Amino acid sequence: MPRNAKLARRKKRRTVPVPTASMGDIAFLLIIFFLVCSEVTQDAADIQVTLPSSARVEKAKAGAVARVAIDKDGQIFFNGSLVDSAKDVELGIHALVSTTVSEDQRHVQFRCDEAITNETFEPVLKAIAEGGAILDAVGTKKESTP
Amino acid sequence: MKRHRDKKKRAGGIPTDSFSDIAFLLIIYFLVATTLVRVQAITTEMPSGDKAAQAQSEKTPIVNLRGGQMFFNDAPVTIEGLEEGLAALDLPARAPDKRVVMLESAAGTPYTMYFEALAAISGNGGVVAMVEPEK
Repeated sequence: MPRNAKLARRKKRRTVPVPTASMGDIAFLLIIFFLVCSEVTQDAADIQVTLPSSARVEKAKAGAVARVAIDKDGQIFFNGSLVDSAKDVELGIHALVSTTVSEDQRHVQFRCDEAITNETFEPVLKAIAEGGAILDAVGTKKESTP
Repeated sequence: MKRHRDKKKRAGGIPTDSFSDIAFLLIIYFLVATTLVRVQAITTEMPSGDKAAQAQSEKTPIVNLRGGQMFFNDAPVTIEGLEEGLAALDLPARAPDKRVVMLESAAGTPYTMYFEALAAISGNGGVVAMVEPEK
């Protein structure tokens, strides 16, 4: 057998190892990325709200600095915790908004049951405005009729 | 005695081979357990205090909600009529302080009606100024 042919056969037998040593590092970096990017919702799951609908509703562009909700019984929640009055909402929002720097950090998500009357929701809306926040009134998209 | 010495010489290495498996399992757990929520909302800035009071004048358009009906500048309208009326004002072309639309609601107004009015005003480039009902 010629020498060159022998060498070629030897080359073919070589195995190429896949470097897997850094796989753990990559995976942990991915976990850290997900943890940093995730926004943990602060809404309590048991707040029962039937949202109103409108054709004007769009996907919220900015994250919320706080979440305010009024359930079907008229109870007011601030970041998932039950509060006594709209004044508590104003104080809470003011405390959060006063430390923010950009417009995007002034958004407050507001969920209110569609059946609640203005005696309950208007003081809360006023509190959000007085707190210096931009209102994101959460609703569902109403399909426009042709 | 000799056996005891042998034991001491053993190297205590931490097994790290399965770290990547654990990490990937954690990633899969996060991906499965995460609910991606992108809420749908209407965004509106509401002037407060003095700003709101300054914005309110006789020339400022007003939306009233009373008795289960909508009124735009004291004329009864449907939600479509309100949209048309607000669109005719061409609010986005105006200066920011001239975009104010007052929103007044009588006692007993449900939030669903208020929300529709709020959506119509902000959707047409208006800034909502809440009006205290007269007592």
